[in-house]
Amino acid sequence: MAKYTCSICGYVYDEVAGDPDRGIAPGTKWEDVPEDWTCPLCGAVKADFVEEKRNKEPVKKDVNVVENEADSMREMSFGEVSALCSNLSKGCTKQYRSEEGELFSQLAEFYKTISSNAGEGGLKDISLLVEQDLASGYPAANPIAADVSDRGALRALVWGEKVTRILNSILSRYDKQQDSLLEGTHIYVCDICGFIYIGDELPDICPVCKVPNKKIIEVMRG
Amino acid sequence: MHAVRNISLCTKDCLCLYVCPTGATDTETGQIDASKCLDGCRICVDACPSHAISLVPEEFPAQQEKTEAVRKSLLSLAESKIKQEKMAAAIEMKSDNPGLRQLAKAISISNRLMAEDLIRESGYMLPQSQNVQDFLQSLLDTDQPEGFPKEAAERLLEILKKDKNKEDKKMDENKTLDNLMEAFAGESQANRKYLAYSKKAEKDGKLNAAKLFKAASDAETIHALKHFEVAGKVSSTADNLKDGIAGETHEYQDMYPDFVKTAEAEGNKAALTSFTYAMRAEEVHAKLYRDALENIDQTEEVFYYLCPVCGNIEKVRPDKCSICGVPGDRFIQY
Repeated sequence: MAKYTCSICGYVYDEVAGDPDRGIAPGTKWEDVPEDWTCPLCGAVKADFVEEKRNKEPVKKDVNVVENEADSMREMSFGEVSALCSNLSKGCTKQYRSEEGELFSQLAEFYKTISSNAGEGGLKDISLLVEQDLASGYPAANPIAADVSDRGALRALVWGEKVTRILNSILSRYDKQQDSLLEGTHIYVCDICGFIYIGDELPDICPVCKVPNKKIIEVMRG
Repeated sequence: MHAVRNISLCTKDCLCLYVCPTGATDTETGQIDASKCLDGCRICVDACPSHAISLVPEEFPAQQEKTEAVRKSLLSLAESKIKQEKMAAAIEMKSDNPGLRQLAKAISISNRLMAEDLIRESGYMLPQSQNVQDFLQSLLDTDQPEGFPKEAAERLLEILKKDKNKEDKKMDENKTLDNLMEAFAGESQANRKYLAYSKKAEKDGKLNAAKLFKAASDAETIHALKHFEVAGKVSSTADNLKDGIAGETHEYQDMYPDFVKTAEAEGNKAALTSFTYAMRAEEVHAKLYRDALENIDQTEEVFYYLCPVCGNIEKVRPDKCSICGVPGDRFIQY
C-alpha cells in the first residue's frame, strides 16, 4: 500500500485509508482511483500527485530561458506598472495611509485602462503561457533566488508555482469537461495568493498560503 | 510609533478607552487619534483582548536587497501573469457563455494577484522605500500616455519624501541621544575623578587646589544630571527603583564576579579587595531597592547607615560592618 502526495497542497492520499467521503473505499489502489477524482483540499487532478517514496524534487528539466529577455534590462509594461501600483495601494492601506492608498489606486486604474485593450487570445493561449511558466519560468527563477537566499522571492515563487499548477489542472479539466465542470457549483479565488477553488465547500484554510477561508472570495457569475 | 485599531478584529471590549492616558482611543471615527497618541506607549496594544490594536512603525526594517538576476526572473514571470490576466479579462468581456466568463474572471483575478506578489518581491515591498520613490520619479521624468494623473504621482512623491526626511531627522535625534549618554558617562567619571583629586590635594595641604577640584567636581555633577534628564532617562520613582535593582544585580551577579576572578588570577590584592567590597555592597543595595519598591507608599521615616569604607548600607546602625568590619560608630546616617 502506497501513499500519494498532492504536489499543490500537500494532501496525502493513503491507499490504506482511501477517501470514503468521496466514495473511495479504504484499500483502493491509486491506479483504481477514478480519473475524475480530485484532491479534496485543493481540487488538483490525479496527475498532480506524486508517490510519496519518490524523491520530492521534481525531475530537473532543461531550462529554456528566453535569453534576450532575461539579459536586457526591461522596462515594465503598463500592465505591470498597474499591478505594482495596486499592490503599493494595498501596502499603504496596511499602514493606515489612506491618502497614499487612494493615490496609488488612481495610478493603478489609469495604467490598467490603457493596457486592457491589448489582451487577445483564448483559454488555449492562457494554457500555453501557464505551461511555459511551469516548464521554464519557475524552474529558472527558483535556483536564482535560492542562490542568494532571497527568502521573500522564494516564498512568492513557491506560492505562485502552486497556484499556477492548480490553474493548469483547472484548464485541462475545463478542456475535457467544458461547462459541466462549473455547473451547480462555485468558484473562489484566494485574495492573498490567487489560489482558485472550484467546488461547493471551501477548505478551512487556503491550501497554498494557509490564510483562513474568510479571505477566499467567491467569484460570482455575471 | 502610534497605535491603530484594526476595526475588523475589534470586538468592542473597549478596554482601550479606560487605559489610554490621553483619551486618544476615545473617538467616533473607529480609529485612534494619532495626534493624541503617545509615541510608543502601547498600553492599549497590550490591554486589548482581541489583539485589534497595534503600533504602526515609523521606520520599517530595511528590505532585502534584490539582485538584478532575481529581479529579472521575477519580473519575467510577472510579465507572463499580466498577459494571462489581460487575455482572461478579454474572454470575460467578449464571451457569450456565462460559465466561461465566470472562470475567466477568476483566472484574471488570480493572475493579477500573482503578478502583484512577484513585482512586490522584486524590490517594491514598502511604499516609502527609495525604490518606490525612484519608480515614481521615473514616471514623472518620462513621457506618459495621455490622461496620466500627474498630480497623483507628484503628491505621492511629496508625501513619501517628507516621510524620508522625518526618518533622517529621527536618525539625527538618535545620534544626539547617543551623544547625551556618552556625555553623561564622561561627566560622571570626571565628577568622581575630581573628587579623588580634591581629597588628595586636601591631604597634601593644597587647600586652594582642593577647593577648585571640589567645585569642578560639583560642576560636572550639574552637567551629568542635566544630560541624563534631557536624554529622558529619569522615570517614575518606582521605575527608577526597578532600574536600580537591575543595575546592582548585574554588577554583583555578572560583572564583579568576573573582575574578582581576574584580579585573583593576576594577584592584584588591592583590586581584589576593592571589587569584593563593591560586589558585596551592591548585593545589599539591590535588596534595599527591592524593599523600598515594595514599601514605596510607606510614609514612616526610614534611616540608612552607610559604611564609609566599603559602601555597605544598613537600616540599623550595626556594631561593626558585616562586609569590611569597620566599627558601627563610623557609619554615616542618612
